[in-house]
Amino acid sequence: MTLRLTAREAGLDLPARPSRLGPTIAAIVVGVIVVLATADLDIDWSEAGAIPGELARYAGLMFAPPNWEKLPRALFEMWRSISMAWLGAMLCVVLSIPLGMLAARNVGPVWLRLPLRGLFAVIRAVPEVIIALILLTVTGLTPFTGALALGIAGIGTQGKWVYETIESAQEGAAEAVRAAGGGIAEVTRWALWPASAPALLSFALYRFEINIRTSAVLGLVGAGGIGSMLSNYTNYRQWDTVGMLLIVVVVITMIIDAISGALRRRIREGATTRGVGRIS
Amino acid sequence: MPLEAPTRPRTWRRTALVVLAVAAFTVATCIPAIGGVELDFAAIAKNWRFGAEKIGQLMQPDWTFLPRTLQPMLETLQMALVAAVASAIVSVPLTLWAARPTNPNGITRRLVRGVINVIRAVPDLVYATVLVAVIGVGALPGVITLFLFNLGIVVKLVSEAIDSADHAYLEAGRAAGGTQTQLNRVTARPQSMPLYANQWLYALELNVRVSAILGIVGAGGIGRLLDERRGFYAYDDVGLVILEILVVVIVIEVFSNLLRRRLV
Amino acid sequence: MNAATPDAGVATTPASWPIRLENVTVTYPNGTTALRDVSLEIAAGEMVSIVGLSGSGKSTLIRTINGLVPATSGTVTVGPHTVTGLRGRGLRRMRGHIGMIFQGFNLAERVDVYRNVLVGRFAHTPTIRTLTGIPTARDRELALRTLDSVGMLDKLWARAGALSGGQKQRVAIARALAQEPSVMLADEPVASLDPPTAHSVMHELQRINAEQGLTVLVNLHLMDLARQYTTRMIGIRAGEIVHDGPAGDATDADFERIYGRSIQPHDRLGTAT
Repeated sequence: MTLRLTAREAGLDLPARPSRLGPTIAAIVVGVIVVLATADLDIDWSEAGAIPGELARYAGLMFAPPNWEKLPRALFEMWRSISMAWLGAMLCVVLSIPLGMLAARNVGPVWLRLPLRGLFAVIRAVPEVIIALILLTVTGLTPFTGALALGIAGIGTQGKWVYETIESAQEGAAEAVRAAGGGIAEVTRWALWPASAPALLSFALYRFEINIRTSAVLGLVGAGGIGSMLSNYTNYRQWDTVGMLLIVVVVITMIIDAISGALRRRIREGATTRGVGRIS
Repeated sequence: MPLEAPTRPRTWRRTALVVLAVAAFTVATCIPAIGGVELDFAAIAKNWRFGAEKIGQLMQPDWTFLPRTLQPMLETLQMALVAAVASAIVSVPLTLWAARPTNPNGITRRLVRGVINVIRAVPDLVYATVLVAVIGVGALPGVITLFLFNLGIVVKLVSEAIDSADHAYLEAGRAAGGTQTQLNRVTARPQSMPLYANQWLYALELNVRVSAILGIVGAGGIGRLLDERRGFYAYDDVGLVILEILVVVIVIEVFSNLLRRRLV
Repeated sequence: MNAATPDAGVATTPASWPIRLENVTVTYPNGTTALRDVSLEIAAGEMVSIVGLSGSGKSTLIRTINGLVPATSGTVTVGPHTVTGLRGRGLRRMRGHIGMIFQGFNLAERVDVYRNVLVGRFAHTPTIRTLTGIPTARDRELALRTLDSVGMLDKLWARAGALSGGQKQRVAIARALAQEPSVMLADEPVASLDPPTAHSVMHELQRINAEQGLTVLVNLHLMDLARQYTTRMIGIRAGEIVHDGPAGDATDADFERIYGRSIQPHDRLGTAT
């Protein structure tokens, strides 16, 4: 936008507008890349116009009305997905707390800390489905494999949260205990644990929420649970049952989110009212 | 003189109850009869060698396979980018409508939040599965999946960040008689840009990881190749693909962290 | 009384408006009563200070005048408008004629000075026009002229966040002036500024009052500023008016009555020009 001077403004001494050349060039470059990427995608744009109509038609097949006949089976499979998510979260927490502590500064030795952080980074980069694909050679296409995959795949992020939490807890209370002559055990018991327990508990619940979604994804590749059922009925093209399954997934996921969210809020508020510091 | 300390509040009863509830829930998740998971530790003891063998094979990637992976990998990156940009554009007004300071109207705010929560409750690969069945195999179901997935993340996280921040400039705008739309356009949007930029980049990072597996259900990208080679038990090829995904994810993460430091 | 037409904003020299509060009570949703049965009359063109400790209700009082805080009972009249009962479009149009500046400046820190000042033109601009991002020639000229009048034109393209406190408050004054207001409200405008800057901002308000004949209402907690810059002083304590008289005649005893305690050194800013 240029700012032109009208006759009446002529009396004013306007400063020159700073150059926006750099950001403009960056925006154009990004824009061109995005347009090229879009144009080059394997999408038949002549048919794209029909897609909203198609989606609406299928939505009609799924939800007008959904078929509730298989609901008991769906709830059974949903519980299986929840079980996978829960056990996966437990495994993940049990593994990530000691590993994360060892990866925290001033707790673990350097030769252990750096490889552990590298391991977390690598696990973070590998999609859960791929970990499940490796594991199924050991335990087969079972929900147990799903739970194990969730437990291992979560370590990457969970471990990182643990060492970040411990490191932020070290700055305050740990100093004081060390100053009073406490050793590693005392520091851990009286400073690190009280300061970081609420955060770690909150992260554990959050892991469960994430796993609820991921367990359905693992089900799609054969680990069982609601994902497998959804995949099957999509293949059979029984749309009214698919619609019912989607409703079950959405409703139960939202309920679990709400409960877990409320618990996390309680943990956090309890922590602040008791004055044990901040949850990052 | 004896000191009179206040009695220690007794919390052990509550603690015991919580522990008991968690234990009961955990046991319930392990009962196959009601849908729980059958803990098959025997299989691990018996078959761990297969897994170790597989990992061994994955560790010896077949580099001659590399040229064939480049095109699908490029498609994966394209899908990730296109979906991230499309959702970024749509997320701007939706986020402002979903946050309290930028949308004081409770009805429309709850409506937008409700829709976003429903979108977020459906797992990414479930979208892909259903969309592939509806509109056929290809990149489009993948792009739509990622678009919805990103929209859920960006709108939720940014609107929550806007909710928790202080917006004194909005009071001034209101005092000057501006409509909420005017205030959002000229002040709240530029003011919230760092929050947006942060989550857009995060969504792009996640997209690369997710789009790598979308092909497993037929939604385009490198996942299709991954699934195909696994079907042929060509674990050296699979190893290469996984290695490639790993490298690309880490490169994108480093790149996005650099960009984030400049933008935020 | 200087009666004005409802939409005086288009006139080149906006009319100055009187303010009237009749038995105004404000009770917040949490149950605290901030104003108790306050009645007050301010003539057009007066320069009035409202003095009280923090929490006395002076911030609420000034916000009931432009409807940022709705009165629970009683009537607020500003010029031709009855504020109580106004909603939506009517409320926004009325606010368009009332400029307001704040203790915390309330600028969008990541937005340039030019656009921050254009916020003052919102009430006179259709929303569609604002969405295009292109202001009318007249809005642009008003923004530039008001910035020039507070001496901030050279910072036109600077981000508001990059300015000093005094500069921010000048931009905020320009934003309020760009409204071509008939009344100017100021809520503790100098509480976040150092003494020399505080004096220059008070000078600015005094000049606006003198040159444009604008009704100015300014909240202060410092007694010397009230005495030096305003002509009439209203003291408020626990939501009730406890003093009303010429500011120059206000004695230390008057201030002690308003504050409800003896005068302390921090009740004065100290002298500087």
